[in-house]
Amino acid sequence: MNEPYLWDGSGEPDPEVQRFESLLKQFSHREIPLALPRQQNAPAKPGYFHGLLLQLPWIPRFAAVAVVLLALIAGGIVSFYPTRISPSGSGWEVARLDGTPQIGTRFITAGESTTKLRVGQTLETNSTSRASISETDLGEIKVEPNSRVRLLQTDEHHKRIQLDIGTIHAMIWAPAGEFVVDTPSAVAVDLGCAYTLQVAADGSGTIRTTLGWVGFHLNGRESFIPAGAMCPTRPKVGPGTPYFEDASESFRAALGDLDFAAQSSEGRAASLETILSQARARDGLTLWHLLSRTEGAERAKVYDRFAVLVPPPAGVTRDGILRLDQSMLTPWWNALNLGDIYLWRYWEQSSSPRANPPNRVLKEQLLLKKTP
Amino acid sequence: MSTDFDLQPTFAGLAAVNSAIEPGGSDIALVQAAQSGDRSAFGMLYARYSRMVHGILLSKVPHAAVEDLVQDVFLQALPRLNSLRDVSRFGGWLAAIARNRAIDFHRQSRPADEFDEQIHEGDKQPHPANRVDQSEAHQILEAIRSLPDSYRETLILRLVEGMTGPEIAARTGLTHGSVRVNLHRGMQQLRELLGYKTGASDSQASGTPS
Repeated sequence: MNEPYLWDGSGEPDPEVQRFESLLKQFSHREIPLALPRQQNAPAKPGYFHGLLLQLPWIPRFAAVAVVLLALIAGGIVSFYPTRISPSGSGWEVARLDGTPQIGTRFITAGESTTKLRVGQTLETNSTSRASISETDLGEIKVEPNSRVRLLQTDEHHKRIQLDIGTIHAMIWAPAGEFVVDTPSAVAVDLGCAYTLQVAADGSGTIRTTLGWVGFHLNGRESFIPAGAMCPTRPKVGPGTPYFEDASESFRAALGDLDFAAQSSEGRAASLETILSQARARDGLTLWHLLSRTEGAERAKVYDRFAVLVPPPAGVTRDGILRLDQSMLTPWWNALNLGDIYLWRYWEQSSSPRANPPNRVLKEQLLLKKTP
Repeated sequence: MSTDFDLQPTFAGLAAVNSAIEPGGSDIALVQAAQSGDRSAFGMLYARYSRMVHGILLSKVPHAAVEDLVQDVFLQALPRLNSLRDVSRFGGWLAAIARNRAIDFHRQSRPADEFDEQIHEGDKQPHPANRVDQSEAHQILEAIRSLPDSYRETLILRLVEGMTGPEIAARTGLTHGSVRVNLHRGMQQLRELLGYKTGASDSQASGTPS
């Protein structure tokens, strides 16, 4: 492949790329003028109230100005008290969808169009209320009944909420890795996606991805959940092994036992046997994760089954995988075509307190390392 | 023609006639001018970014629906422009709106509406000499659409919309490194995929009398 030509059209033309360009040109954008709604002709300024003021005689005008100033000062004093005790930051917009959700102790009523959720504040819904949180640079988060969400961080590249209990549906368009949700049993990192996250009263949780993928981690245990897959979590354990929702019931039950149940060695062997025998090529997602959650003979069994379903790419060896060599696990994951794992590695590196280089520089370095 | 709409010129030079911003003005200046109500500046942004929006949409929705959706994306963006605080991220922000519009399209479509463009475009009866090319073009487009999101968007911007790697990076807000990797890996996967498909169709064709 002629790299410079593919990159910017320079250098010797690559015949294959040229043929693609020539064939695909018919699908390109036509220069159609943009049709915008016609603007209203009425001037926006000086404005209705300003116009009224100009129509008043001089002395009443002065009195009216004084009244307006007094009203503004009074308004400022009134509004000072709630803001003084409210947390900092510009906050994210909250809209009531049903019932009367509340921010802190204040209810959002039907008459209010939107209000702000500021860093440190909590948005709560009861059994009959729902709300949505939106932010232009982030996306939209719908908060279902009986949920509690706290806004933790709204920095340009780091946005974070905490879901204590309940359900949220997130549709995120911020760049991958910028939006994080803390739950009692795992941390969910958006990697470019839409997903539903549920947290139960005991702190356990479930994530279901509907678009893109999500990273889930706790204390070094990590799961990647692509669209169509789900993953449970348990307090003190962290994320379980992800699986596609169309996997068989027995496959899912065996996986749940393997992840979270206290099993005898025979029970564990039986669970693993069920998983491996029922795994389809698509369940390579699950088997890839199991490689690092098993040891010794168990890991070898997982490898053998996974290699049948998804042949390891060139350079990935059985010995390397049994040693959990990252340089071999990564290409095998990428062979699943479920999302490039570098996004996750980048997030891990850049969110580490030891990561000194600015994000962009670090990202470039990681990318350059990966470039073949 | 409806009188409820103002047509914005597609060329930056024409759009600049009514704008305080020069045609070669920076994107940031254009976004700021558009935020303050300068419609010609918004027209210039359309001229600069419509290919990117088109490419992103084409990677996700049928070709026949894309041009209308491009307009939708800009119409959605206009009233929300003032809520964009970091104007330097206009490209990434617009790309996100385009991706969301594509998701909405699939939510609102019946399954039968999706990706049936070959049937409709087949109705146009292309010249016999072009049929093979048409078929191959559709096959390549479908192959690109089957690649992971980041690869398919970047490849469509490069191969369909004719944007260069640096241009893709500037418009989408991705780093040069990301675009380079997406192009390289995307092309690798595309070749493998088409090679596989060609092989399969060859083997099928070999059993068919000519």
